[in-house]
Amino acid sequence: MSGDAVMEGILGGIKVLELAQAPSGAFCAKLLADQGAQTIKVEPPGWGDPSRNEPPFVGGEPHPDRSTTFLALNTNKRGISLDLEQAAGRSLLLKLVSESDVVVESFAPGYLEHLGLGYDALRSVNPGVILVSITYFGQNGPYANYKGDDLIAQAMGGYLYAVTGPADKPPMGTALQQMELTGGRNGVIAVMAALLQRDGTGEGTHIDVSVMEAAIATPSMLIQSYGYLGRNPRRGAGDKFVMDGMHLPTRDGEVSLTTAGTGGRPMEVWSEFLGEPRLLDPKFGTRQSRNDNWEELRDLVAPKLSQWNNLDLMRETMARGLVIGLVQSPEQVASSPHLAERGYFVELDHPEVGALKYPGPGFFIDGVNPMQAGRAAPRLGEHNVEIYCDRLGLSTDELSRLRAARTI
Amino acid sequence: MSAPLLDGIRVLTLEQVHALPWGTAFLADLGAQVIRIESVAHLQDRKAGPFPNGKAGPEWWNEGANLAYFGTRNKQSLCLDVTKPAGKEVFLKLVEKCDIVTDNFRPGTMRRLGFDHESLAQVNPRIISLSSTAYGHTGPWSRAGSRARTIDSVCGMSYLTGFEGGPSVRASNNYMDHSTGNNVAYALLLALYRRKRTGKGMRIDLSMQETGVSCIGPAILEAQRGMGRPRLGCSHLWKAPHNVYPCAGSDRWITIAVASDAEWGALKQAMGAPAWAQDARYDSARSRWEHRHELDSKLAEWTATQDDKTLARSLQAQGVCAGAVMTAADLVSDAHLKQREFIQTIERAGGQRPYAGRPFRIPGVSMAIRHAADLGEHNESVLRDLAGLSRDDINALAAEGVIAQQPRAEERAP
Repeated sequence: MSGDAVMEGILGGIKVLELAQAPSGAFCAKLLADQGAQTIKVEPPGWGDPSRNEPPFVGGEPHPDRSTTFLALNTNKRGISLDLEQAAGRSLLLKLVSESDVVVESFAPGYLEHLGLGYDALRSVNPGVILVSITYFGQNGPYANYKGDDLIAQAMGGYLYAVTGPADKPPMGTALQQMELTGGRNGVIAVMAALLQRDGTGEGTHIDVSVMEAAIATPSMLIQSYGYLGRNPRRGAGDKFVMDGMHLPTRDGEVSLTTAGTGGRPMEVWSEFLGEPRLLDPKFGTRQSRNDNWEELRDLVAPKLSQWNNLDLMRETMARGLVIGLVQSPEQVASSPHLAERGYFVELDHPEVGALKYPGPGFFIDGVNPMQAGRAAPRLGEHNVEIYCDRLGLSTDELSRLRAARTI
Repeated sequence: MSAPLLDGIRVLTLEQVHALPWGTAFLADLGAQVIRIESVAHLQDRKAGPFPNGKAGPEWWNEGANLAYFGTRNKQSLCLDVTKPAGKEVFLKLVEKCDIVTDNFRPGTMRRLGFDHESLAQVNPRIISLSSTAYGHTGPWSRAGSRARTIDSVCGMSYLTGFEGGPSVRASNNYMDHSTGNNVAYALLLALYRRKRTGKGMRIDLSMQETGVSCIGPAILEAQRGMGRPRLGCSHLWKAPHNVYPCAGSDRWITIAVASDAEWGALKQAMGAPAWAQDARYDSARSRWEHRHELDSKLAEWTATQDDKTLARSLQAQGVCAGAVMTAADLVSDAHLKQREFIQTIERAGGQRPYAGRPFRIPGVSMAIRHAADLGEHNESVLRDLAGLSRDDINALAAEGVIAQQPRAEERAP
């Protein structure tokens, strides 16, 4: 019953056009597509989305359909090629816009206006259209035309200075384009709000998302802490937290401990669990004294932990209500018995890379994983015939002419 | 002025710490009536601060910055002991009038309280429930608890983070709270959207670990094909130079990210075309990447004497992708953010407090902090207007200690 409705896709009635040239926009559109939105990725003919060239590639050698970044960011989309620099391309785009609910783009600010495809132009063919512009610095302001990438967003968003890595080293940075993804995650919240608003008004809107601002909001308390404490949050604040965050070796990996679940008696509980009575020494009795004596504490805790296998440690700490963090490799995550039992990963087949398990959205509805198991990332122009002929009614002759003119 | 976007939507939330409160705050911003149920037996969030100048004041329970920024941001506070029969009865009365119930207890707690989805649906068949937990409600690890930093480890993020050739490092203390909270907001808005069309409520089981794994998609695909992903610090898998470089002053840095031959040419120009940079080894992207370590040290020599912000501005003007490493103080006074009105202020705890706005703008939709609720501030209005209790009923609940507006006498200040 309700499970079936989920399987059809919550956003099954929504049509999305994605003109993304950056991972933020691609991820935003993917989150919508994974919930069933009928999503068309529009790419420039010839080279396509730049992330098609992003290494590594399944099989090792560069190939436009085998980039793991591209594959991960473009599930459940159809793909067409279209040259927006040509008038014929623009008029095809407007035809698609006229029957779309949401357009996601991540071009430099002003580029769509320059082409005559700004929000006003889109609205004139479809007053209900929701345009989402996700850029590094937003649509206005002195930095609007700056170049950006994930690292630049981390830096200018305060994340790089404040968050990752030890206190005594240069800023370290966070892997895998997290600022781009955070921009995309904020983007879908805004899209859903706009869709609900449109239910009432029938009117579309133009949403401006800034990846730099997403980066600032990401350590949550960056600005607030400064406002209350008058000092800059800085990376490395937890460098000496043996009992609360330090990575410590186990027999087959690493783990971080916490004092959570110890009923306010962390050293008593961990001393008993690890079989190390010296942890009861008063010099480890408070958070401050544990920091002051952190190397000594680490040298007592580490040998005990190194006798454990990760999965055994997880099972036994869980049974006692303790909270730990296994430092899992992506291989361990991909083969996790827990995630397998939950049905978290969704397998999608792809002609170039075969069947792979893709991460789900992270929530289940009435026990069902709502991620659509529709299709893996599209090949460049894969759905040209389906979209241009079947949906827009172009003849195969017209399609050939567009192809010859490199419009598609 | 039209009604707020989620006007009329009511959320009851049994929430603590960070991830779920961060998520429900989006709905509160959008105009939903979000009623945060609090308990004088569990005031950790109100003790968490940070407090003005690091000192908890006489009314510490209403002074913390976390509360204002996301804990009770645009929400209402109902301080109600739902473990007492009278409190449970009131809670279920409220469920009748609400659209969404959220919690972030460990799995099983809501059932013990009598608030599992089936029980809520008996009271209100259209109810949407969302449970935000570490590992979800099913599977062998469902009973385990978490902190955002342990999720950073267990989802694979920490493993991928670190300097080139160095050990694994936690990416962040609370990125996973934040991502989970964003995912909560997305899931709840999807649920409201779906219920509008089907009329049906639903049960949402949201997992922090799984939200974390969804942040490292490429690495999950690579792992299935035996492809290891190296830790690279601020370096990049193919761009070079791409790193953080020292600038004049203490702990000042600039990031530079060269993605093309043209940008490398622009950077060479900006440096004044030094002889070392003309080396043919730096002509192609692949070769630049192979020689990235020497490129990085050469660039660092050039940046080390320069002002971070001046240099970043100058490089951008010359077509080089660059950005200063900003501190919170830099951001609060940043001209770009000022013009975009991103840094806003609220009057709170005896001062004007700056805060970061939402990173998106929807015309006509305010996402500002309009209010942060004091402990139990909305006891009376919620119980009277929503639960339909009389003044006598409310007084009786207060006398029995089922509702409260202050910590207990024996409660210690943080």
